[in-house]
Amino acid sequence: MKKETKIITKNWGRINPGRIDDYIAAGGYRALRKFVAEMAPQSVLEEIKISGLCGRGGAGFPTGRKLECVALEKSKEKYFICNLDESEPGTYKDRSIVDNDPHMLLEGIIIGALTVGARKAFIYINGNYQKEIEILERAVEQAQEKNFLGENILGSKYGLEMEIFAGAGAYVCGEETALLNSIEGNRGEPKARPPYPTQCGLFGRPTAINNAETIANIPWIVENGGKAYAKIGSKKSPGTKLFIVNGSVKNSDVFEAPLGIKLGDLIGKCAGGIQPGKEFWFAQVGGSSGRLALEKDLKLKLEYDCEAKIPLGSGAVLVVDKTADIHELLLSWTGFFRRESCGKCVPCREGTFRLWEIAKRLRDGEVSERDVAAIRDILWTLNNTTFCPLGKFAATAFGDALENFQNEIYRISK
Amino acid sequence: MKIKINDRDLATKPGETIFQVCLRNGIKIPTLCGMKGIHEGVCRICVVECGGRLITSCNTKVSAGMEIATESEKISQARRINLELLWADHAGKCVTCKKNQRCELQNLATEQKIENFHFIPRKEEMTDRENLDLLKDNRSRVVVDEGNPCVSRTTELCVECRRCLNICPTKEFSFNNRAGDVVVGTPYGKPLDCIFCGQCVKNCPTGALTDKNDLDRIIGELDDLKKMAVALVDPAVLESVVLEQPEIGSVGKLIGVLKALGFEKVFDSGFGMELALEKMAQAIKTSGKGNLMLSHCPSFNLLVDKYYPQFKGNILDVANPDELMAEAVKNGYAKRHKIDPQAIVVISISSCVAKKKDRSGNLDYVLTVWELGRLIRRKNLKLEEIKNAGFSKDFAVKNEKSKDMIRMGGAAEMLAKKLKCKYVVADGVPQIKSILQDLDKGRIKTKIIECMVCPGGCVNGGGQSR
Repeated sequence: MKKETKIITKNWGRINPGRIDDYIAAGGYRALRKFVAEMAPQSVLEEIKISGLCGRGGAGFPTGRKLECVALEKSKEKYFICNLDESEPGTYKDRSIVDNDPHMLLEGIIIGALTVGARKAFIYINGNYQKEIEILERAVEQAQEKNFLGENILGSKYGLEMEIFAGAGAYVCGEETALLNSIEGNRGEPKARPPYPTQCGLFGRPTAINNAETIANIPWIVENGGKAYAKIGSKKSPGTKLFIVNGSVKNSDVFEAPLGIKLGDLIGKCAGGIQPGKEFWFAQVGGSSGRLALEKDLKLKLEYDCEAKIPLGSGAVLVVDKTADIHELLLSWTGFFRRESCGKCVPCREGTFRLWEIAKRLRDGEVSERDVAAIRDILWTLNNTTFCPLGKFAATAFGDALENFQNEIYRISK
Repeated sequence: MKIKINDRDLATKPGETIFQVCLRNGIKIPTLCGMKGIHEGVCRICVVECGGRLITSCNTKVSAGMEIATESEKISQARRINLELLWADHAGKCVTCKKNQRCELQNLATEQKIENFHFIPRKEEMTDRENLDLLKDNRSRVVVDEGNPCVSRTTELCVECRRCLNICPTKEFSFNNRAGDVVVGTPYGKPLDCIFCGQCVKNCPTGALTDKNDLDRIIGELDDLKKMAVALVDPAVLESVVLEQPEIGSVGKLIGVLKALGFEKVFDSGFGMELALEKMAQAIKTSGKGNLMLSHCPSFNLLVDKYYPQFKGNILDVANPDELMAEAVKNGYAKRHKIDPQAIVVISISSCVAKKKDRSGNLDYVLTVWELGRLIRRKNLKLEEIKNAGFSKDFAVKNEKSKDMIRMGGAAEMLAKKLKCKYVVADGVPQIKSILQDLDKGRIKTKIIECMVCPGGCVNGGGQSR
């Protein structure tokens, strides 16, 4: 096996996350110095485009293209936002980044923001992450002392102000336009697109919104070049990815692995395989909104590819063994979306509620003929007519479970 | 730019939405959440099919080469399911609802033939207590607001279309809670305390927002033989009463209908307007100050009271026309005809919702246009058989032109002509706000300022029918 390349986790456990000097000693802020001293924003954009880096939040949109869109906009004010509103159940990769290496994230944000021409950057962090908010506040302070932030960064003409904005922990605020609404002081609910945030985002200005993990890759790319990054991982989506493996595995943790790793390898090698005495049933890839991977899907590659059978999503993998109760799982999924839907559009607001009601009846074995038809209708309308992707997510896992485990769900004996 | 809708080539203007193109070409698309100029795309009923995908027609702009179908199996499935979901969350008390037969949700359900309720569990199907609680849970967040004199609010009938959020000029409403618990609410759930322009009432598709009135008591007063019911007919009403009851096409018919309802006397509010104009002219003449604000829009008075108290002194101390006229009826008229003022019930038929709050004793009730319609339906009048009639004697209007007061700028124009002075007019809250801000900074120097909260004046008042 090739020697594994570590990009995001390279300093984890080796440095004290509360000390900026540790990070600098480990080679930190070299990329920012390089950017300030010898690179133009245009060349950084080129490097990111060559690297093929794509959004790690779930959608997998090419980061270079997104940043370029904002950079090309002619506006005096632009904003750069780091999306740290991680609320997908079972996902804690962004939190781990902040816990272990906050300055790598800050460096990424600074370079990203200066690249697109923003003078103000926001970190939109989930309000439940109290500890991480404190870590970031300290890190921002330290970076200001060292002149990595503020006016005339490292003696250059660049300037950047950073603000940590704590959301109220709503799942839907991870969606770009809802996040913008939340920062603007409005109710956290999605807006109609177009206009896209890259043209008309925060306070009507061009805004680049990127996931924290995506941003944490930028310093490495600046330092080592886009070509080196493109060599790692799969062809369609280069680079490494943080995977979170939960459930019936021996060690559930965050693992950094190159994209394109097989699902079976991730569970078997990284996470140490299934717990003894248990039998693999299926794995849910991508948090509550993820699809279900069965035994036969274990050989599938995990990568960002719009045609992939199993979309990678946030990178969370929930391994379920055969002792699990499918009805409780259905109830937990539907309960989550019933709680987290913003209530703006009809199919999502009413559909998730009815689906949750039906899931309760399924658990109690009181499901009627009419419910079976109702499930079909609700899943269909969630899939086809909702305002934002949340509705679609709400239908994904339920639909997959229904397709594969119909007998178990309706308690039909074979 | 040309696009294809239902295999028809249609020319479009840049920036138009699919819905606008369809409307212009007579292609009907059902919608619930949208109203003129504001489309948020939340009801997901106006969906159309474009390239195999369902998109909302109301907020999707046209682009070159679009091929759109407005009717297909997929589309009707989407409309049916979404409507059914809404219907399942709705109270379903149509028969006793104030908006019965005038409800857009009801009309849509009829149009789309919604007849089964397969999203709602039946009681007999459930053995578990917990599931019964679940049923109740859906109703647990209902907010009923009867704490103000003008607007009654019950979220049980609400379909969360957000029209009221968007139309409200002072942004009193917002969504409270999340997901299935969402209700349209006020800050901290307090009773509504706004300027009561009533635009939300006018635009609400269901019975969630209605203007407040005790119809039972009014019917009682009308039927009481010992009492004399007097109707004051606002000229603004005539334009919209046709929309409520198409049979009432003229003033004469309206008077006939009112008399059939049990009103003994029907007077023209134009007289009250003349009175008000006279009094205001007098007040302006005697006042040495400039920038005097006309006081006939109760909603504007409330706006100044609440948001610009520094201008309270600028408002003329003249009551609104209906109030003046009610006073004339209860004092002068009663004395002349030797009637006990206590036995007179003065009811104004008006387009204004805020007048309900602005009463000070003489005016007993204010009926809006659609409430009049409700009254007619309640009384089961056979409108075709009712003959035309004329206004009762007394209170003849001398100058028909004074009725122009119902339009924005009408009163100011007449007063300025009479007194030979300058004037400024504004309609709609944004314009009024900018004028008041200018005034605050001393950028406006004039004699008369006329502001009307409803766009265009009373003719578009909150109590009008749509």
